[in-house]
Amino acid sequence: MMRPVLIRRERVVPATQAVAFVVGIATALVLGLILLWTSGHSPAEVYERMFDAAFMGTDSLARTLERATPLALTGLAVAVAGSMGLWNIGAEGQMMAGATIAAGVAMGADGLSGPLLIALMVVSGVAGGMVLMLGPALARSHLGVSEIITTLMLVYVAIRVVEWLETGPWKDPESFGFAVIEPVPEQASLPGLFGRAHIGTLIALGLLLVFSLAVSRTAWGYELRLAGSSPNTARYAGISLRRKVLTALLLSGGIAGLAGAVQLTGSATRLESGLSNGYGFAGIIVAALALMRPSGVVVAAFVFGAVQVGGQSIQTLGVSSAISDILQAMILFAALVAAVFFNYRIRWRGPAGRESSDDEQAEAGDDALTMEGV
Amino acid sequence: MASSGADHAVWLRGIEKQFPGVIACAGADLRVRPGTIHALLGENGAGKTTMVNVLAGVYRPDGGEVWVNGQQRFFHSPADAIAAGVGMVYQEFRLVPNLTVAENIVLGSAPGLLRTNEIEERVAELSAAYGMAADPTRPVWQLSMGERQRVEILKSLWRNASVLVMDEPTAVLTPGEAAELGATLRAMAEEGRSVIYISHKLDQVVAFCDEATVLRQGKTAATVDNLQDVDLTSLAEMMVGTSGGGYVDRPPPRDRGPEVLSLQNISALNDRGLPALADINMTVHSGEIVGIVGVSGNGQKELAEVITGLRRPAQGRVAVNGQDVTRASPGDRYGLGLAYVPEDRLGVGLAPKMSVVDNSVVRSYKSQRRGLLLVMDRCVKFCQTLVERFGVRVGRLNDPIAGLSGGNLQRLLLGRELAEQPAVLVAAQPTRGLDVQGVAAIQSHLVEQRANGVGVLLISEDLDELQALSDVLLVMYEGRVVGEYPPDVTPRTILGSAMAGNPPT
Repeated sequence: MMRPVLIRRERVVPATQAVAFVVGIATALVLGLILLWTSGHSPAEVYERMFDAAFMGTDSLARTLERATPLALTGLAVAVAGSMGLWNIGAEGQMMAGATIAAGVAMGADGLSGPLLIALMVVSGVAGGMVLMLGPALARSHLGVSEIITTLMLVYVAIRVVEWLETGPWKDPESFGFAVIEPVPEQASLPGLFGRAHIGTLIALGLLLVFSLAVSRTAWGYELRLAGSSPNTARYAGISLRRKVLTALLLSGGIAGLAGAVQLTGSATRLESGLSNGYGFAGIIVAALALMRPSGVVVAAFVFGAVQVGGQSIQTLGVSSAISDILQAMILFAALVAAVFFNYRIRWRGPAGRESSDDEQAEAGDDALTMEGV
Repeated sequence: MASSGADHAVWLRGIEKQFPGVIACAGADLRVRPGTIHALLGENGAGKTTMVNVLAGVYRPDGGEVWVNGQQRFFHSPADAIAAGVGMVYQEFRLVPNLTVAENIVLGSAPGLLRTNEIEERVAELSAAYGMAADPTRPVWQLSMGERQRVEILKSLWRNASVLVMDEPTAVLTPGEAAELGATLRAMAEEGRSVIYISHKLDQVVAFCDEATVLRQGKTAATVDNLQDVDLTSLAEMMVGTSGGGYVDRPPPRDRGPEVLSLQNISALNDRGLPALADINMTVHSGEIVGIVGVSGNGQKELAEVITGLRRPAQGRVAVNGQDVTRASPGDRYGLGLAYVPEDRLGVGLAPKMSVVDNSVVRSYKSQRRGLLLVMDRCVKFCQTLVERFGVRVGRLNDPIAGLSGGNLQRLLLGRELAEQPAVLVAAQPTRGLDVQGVAAIQSHLVEQRANGVGVLLISEDLDELQALSDVLLVMYEGRVVGEYPPDVTPRTILGSAMAGNPPT
C-alpha cells in the first residue's frame, strides 16, 4: 500500500511557493463552490462580489489596506518572536496595552500639535506593548516559563482593563450614560492616503522593510538567526541566549503595541474594548502563512485583509455570516496547507524496499512540521 | 556459514545504513544465540544505536537482512518489531508519569476491557516471577530511575518479548540496583530469552554477559563467544581498536613552546548532576599534540566543554595563554586564542539550516561589521578563502550546509576555527565518521597546526590516530587522568589496562 510522507525540501524554490499558493486558493474556492451551492447561493455572484469588494476600485483597495495594516503589524510581531522559535500568542493583548497607553497620553497631552501628539502616541504604544510583554519575556528568559501561556493569559487582562476604564475612570462624562471613553483628539488622526487607507500602511511597510534588513544584514540579526536556528551553536559562539530571547520577545510585544497605537490613531475614534478586533490572534495566522518571514508577512496580511473585506461584503447578498466565516476559514486554511508545501514535498512510499533516511526522519517527526515549518 | 538465521534469536546480517553526511552502518553483523546475554560494544558513533534501532523497527536498513527467531523480518514500524518479540528499553524511558505502573505496562497492548484489579494482579505476578519489586498501583512519577527501568522491562515481558534490548541500562542505576538488574537479566536468559546489552562499562559487561560483538566504524570488528575467556584489558583494546587510521607521517618531536592551556584541579558534573571530572590537572604547550585516550563516557565530553566554556566547572581553574578564563564565555575564550572543534559538529559547531557563508562567520561575524551592518561582501570573501584553503567542496555558498558530506562539514568547521591563528585547539573526535580522504585531510591539518606552534588537545577514540599524532598520551578513566604515556614506546596492553581503570604502576 502506498502512503504519502512529507519530506523537507533541501532548497526552497520561490516558484514552487507561488504555485502551491495558487493551487491552495483554487482548491479552497472549488470547495467553497460546493458550500455555496448547497446553501442555495450563486457561487459566481458571491465570488464576484468578494473580488470586487476587496480589489476593484480605490475604495475597495483602501478598505483592504486598512484591514491589512494591523494584520501586517501583528503578523510581524508574531514573526519576530517566531524567528527565535518563540510563540507570542498574546499580540491581541499587547495591541490593547499599546492603544491604552497611547489613549492615556492623548488625554493628558491633547494640547500638542497633531504630528507631535501622534509621534508621542506611537512611541507610548510601543512602550505599552513592551510593558505587557515584560513579565512573560523575563519569565521565559530567566525561568523557562512557556511564553505561550503567559502571553495568552495577559490578553484577557488587557481587554478587561480597557473595559474597566470604559465603565470607570475614563468614562466620557458627555456620553449620555454610555460606557465609552472620550474620543481621541481630532488632531491625533493619522493622515489618510486614499479612501479609508491611512499612512499606517506605510508605517507597517517601513517597519517590515527595516526588520527584514536588520535580520539579514546586521550582526544583531545574524545572532538572532543563529540563536533561533541552532541554540547550542549560538552558545558556542558566545551569544547570550537569554538576552536574545528577551529582546526578541520585547520587540515582538513592542510591535504589537505599535499596532494598537496605529489602529487607535488611524481607524478608530476612541479606545474601546473591541479595538483589537481579533487582529492580534489573526497575526498568528499571518505569521504562520508567512513562514515567519517579513516578506511573507506583507503578502499574507494583504491576502488576509482582502478575504476579510470580501467575506463581509457578501453578507449583503444574503449569505449568512456563518457561511461567510466558513468560506474565509477555508481560504486561509488552504493557504496554510499550501505554505506547508513551501518547505515540504510529498513522496509516495511503498511497503518495502530501500528508502533514504530523510524519509524516516520526516516520519519519526524529527524534522517534520515543527515551529518554523508552520 | 548457515544460510538461514534459524539457530539465532537475532541475526542482523550485513546491515547498511546511511544518514546525511554519516555512514552509520557499513555491513555490520550481529548474531545473538537464544538464552544468552549479548554485549554490543563499540565507541560512540560505531553504529550500535543504529543497529538496535534497525532491530526495533525504528530505522529501515539501506541494505542487509533482519532475522528474528529464525524468520526473516521486514519491520515497517516499532509495532511490527514488538509483535515479532523484540523489546526495547531506551536510555530515556518511555513511560507516562501520571499513569500507574500497571497502566504503563499494559499501555498499547491492553485487552479490550480494562479490569484494573485483574491487571494489577497479573503485573504483580509477573514482577514477582522475575524478582523485580514493583508496586503496580503506584504512579510512575513517584518511582526512582531504577524502578522505572523495571517497569520498562516488565512492559517488554508483558508483551512476551523473546529479545530484550537494553541501551546503557546501568547509566542511571546505583551499584546495588545494577547488581539486581544483572540477576533479572540472568533469570530471563535462563528462560531462553535473549538480551542485547549496550554499555561502555566493561566491568559490568564482563560480569553480566555471555558473549559480545564489537562494532567499529559501522562494521563488526570482533565477536567474542565466551566473555569468560577475555579480560578487561583486551576488551578495552578491541573497543578502541585500530582503524589503520594514522594517515599522516609521525611528525618529529619538537621543542615544546610555552604553556598555552592549563587546567588546575578541575572537577565538574555531567548533565545528570553526577560527578564527571575529578581533580584534573593538565597542560598543553605550544607546538605539541596532547592526546586524550579513553573509553568514551569517562569524562572526555565534559572535559572539552569545561575547557571551552560550555560547562561550568564545580571547582578548579582554566587558563589560556596564562590568562585565567574560568569565568569567561565561550566567545571570549575564542578571542583569547582557544579554538574548538566539538564532537557534535552539526548540533554545536555548525547551524545546519543556515548557509555556508553564515556558518563560516560564526566566530568572526563581529569583525565583518561596518557600523550596525554586517558587510555581506566581506563575509562571502571570508567564506571563499576558507573554502579554498581547506578544500571544502560546496555547492552554492548561500545554500544550507545540511547537504554537505561529513568530511566537508568538518573541513569547514576546522577551517573556521583555525582562520584566526589560535593558540590552542581543542579537537573532539575530529575524524569520527569521515571517509579516508577526510580523515587524512583533518589529521594533516592538525599536524600542520602543531608545526605552526598551536597547542592541540586531541580527544579521540581511535588509538591509531592518537599514537600517530600525539606527543603525549593522557588516559582518562571515570573522570580522572590515570596515566601519562609516551605514544610511541607504550604497548597497547598498557594503554588498554589503563583505559580499563588499572594503570600499571
